[in-house]
Amino acid sequence: MTWLIPTALTVAAVGAIATIALHFIARSRPIAEPLPTARFIPDRAIHARTRSLALTDVLLMLLRVAAVLLIGFAVAGPLFAGNGKVSRIVLADRSRAVASIDAIRDSVRAYLRPGGELIAFDSSASLARTTTMDSIIATKERGSLSAAISAAVRGGVRAAPNADSIELVIVSPLTREEIDAATLKIRAAWPGRIRLVHVAASEVAAKPTRVDVRSDANDGVAAGLSLLPALIAPVRVVRGRLTADDSAWARAGNVLVHWPAADADADWPHRASIDAIGGVTVGKATLVGRFPRLWALSGRAVARWADGEPAAVEQPAGAGCIRHVGILIDESSDLPLRESFRSFANEMLAPCGGSRAASPLDSATVAAIAGAGPLASSSRLRDTTTATSRLMPWLLLAAALALIAELSVRRSASRFA
Amino acid sequence: MPTDGSYGGLLDAVRGVHWPARRAVATAVAGSHHSKQRGTSAEFTEYRLYRQGDDPRRIDWRLLARSDRAYIRLATDRATLPTTIVLDTSPSMAFPMATREKWRRAQEIAVGLAGVAHAGGDPVGIALVGDDGEIRIVPPRTRRGVVGEIARVVDAADPDSGGDVATLVRATRTKRIAIITDLLGDEDLLIAAKVHVAGGGEIHVVHVVAKEELDPPRRTMLAADPEQPALQRLLMDSTRRDYDEAFARWRDDTARQWRSAGASYTEVVTDEPAAHAVRRIAEPPVYGAPRL
Repeated sequence: MTWLIPTALTVAAVGAIATIALHFIARSRPIAEPLPTARFIPDRAIHARTRSLALTDVLLMLLRVAAVLLIGFAVAGPLFAGNGKVSRIVLADRSRAVASIDAIRDSVRAYLRPGGELIAFDSSASLARTTTMDSIIATKERGSLSAAISAAVRGGVRAAPNADSIELVIVSPLTREEIDAATLKIRAAWPGRIRLVHVAASEVAAKPTRVDVRSDANDGVAAGLSLLPALIAPVRVVRGRLTADDSAWARAGNVLVHWPAADADADWPHRASIDAIGGVTVGKATLVGRFPRLWALSGRAVARWADGEPAAVEQPAGAGCIRHVGILIDESSDLPLRESFRSFANEMLAPCGGSRAASPLDSATVAAIAGAGPLASSSRLRDTTTATSRLMPWLLLAAALALIAELSVRRSASRFA
Repeated sequence: MPTDGSYGGLLDAVRGVHWPARRAVATAVAGSHHSKQRGTSAEFTEYRLYRQGDDPRRIDWRLLARSDRAYIRLATDRATLPTTIVLDTSPSMAFPMATREKWRRAQEIAVGLAGVAHAGGDPVGIALVGDDGEIRIVPPRTRRGVVGEIARVVDAADPDSGGDVATLVRATRTKRIAIITDLLGDEDLLIAAKVHVAGGGEIHVVHVVAKEELDPPRRTMLAADPEQPALQRLLMDSTRRDYDEAFARWRDDTARQWRSAGASYTEVVTDEPAAHAVRRIAEPPVYGAPRL
């Protein structure tokens, strides 16, 4: 048996002890009884300590203590979960880091139990059907263990009322790109150990290639991009207007970066007010300068202005993606020649879904994610703000009956005194 | 409440009890009490010289023959004494709350005294404050059903009615008044009684005391005066002795004041049978005899 609010038990115990203590030490005004000759009694201060416990007093005390304890139990909310039942939640990785989605499905089949939950995740996580593994479809999104564990915590809250403990299983290649700065903190929200099931990670194409830039001859950005080292995936940068050939090239599984050199090179919707801003950032790279902001871009943000507004977005296109970069760089600026620009451009020219970090997590991080100790207790996952105890109304009813009995005993005691 | 059955035993028990007047009665109606008037009854009292206007038939001719003086025979007249029972219906009479023993004893004494007075040929009535707070007076009568009527009035009354007993006494015009009260909270009553006695009337005060007032429960209690709810005192071991002494002193003082005022004072405790109490109230004191 567990309790929704165990502290209420402590409060009830203190209340019961206080009730008993008050029965012994209270200096209360006695109940007035009629005596026509009361005027002949000397006038003294009306305070008297109860000298002996009459039977009615003991009964009153017991009823009051019972009422206090019953109310405490009701507020504490006793919960009776399944006897030793363990529920299992399986997180299935479907991100681009997975080499074979079939390996994921096989592992899920092996670990998923009847009544358990299946959560598929890439950059986001969602509940999947447990009857068939068809809902686990590989995507080109970067995986996020943070999103997955957050979804698992929500699943744990759902499963808590019907189980004593909950086991969390993560089926994933566990690559470096799947964690972020918040992952370990989010992991701490899961109150138990996690079983990690490794599957093979996808290979990253390591064929060096150079960026294909289509621009004017005197384009500074093109000059800066030419200084970049070899890339791991074919990328085309278009500084003018896009053509059908460019789109087809992107749908073939490549990265197309549309980085207009002027306002006329893009048909994107303009912002309500055109202004200028002093910086733009992507990942750990930052460009500082004076940048006019012309467009309001929509899509998955890959770069943001200093105030958080997307400066570059990525949109899927067939097997590849098109990246729209709304950053206008002054032709006379030497910004493209700086080291910061190269770092920035590297991020802009990263494969679809962002930079790949396919290397496996180090053992310390894996150990931190796995954790140690027992499985997660359902009592620690239960949502005390919404969970209710089936016994609560009955306990409150019993407390009300005790209070009514107390009132009745008190009245009868005063009547026959 | 049925009255015949309730008071039948009491009236039987007080049958034969006489309630004589404490002094000669001035009324002219023939009755059982000594009258202040001298008349022609067979009970000879004294001779008086014949005066002009006396009835010559009352001259004692034999004495005239022996003494050559004309005397007339005087005899004591017997007169009735109208009696009103004044019953206190203040809340303090409803004590103890559970049994109302004090009120019950007062009812019985009222009916018993009425029965004794009626049996002696005296007109008898009652005055009290009814349920509605209005003064109810049954004028003194000698007719046969008057005791039953008094019993019904007494039974219909409630001790929570309140009312000022002194007002009842002032409103009563009969010569003999029997006041049945606990004397708590009736400061003007003694003055009203003195006025009545000064006017030639006769007052019998019956002080009803509950045995629970003489010996309250042996535990700590907050005692509240039913007639003054704000008056609350703590009765416990340390105050009990003072209470006993103060209550006894007050009863002694009260008895002395009433007797000094010319009234007959009788204290009745609720554990005393009503018939016995009625006999004590009605019978004239026999000095030197052991008290019953």
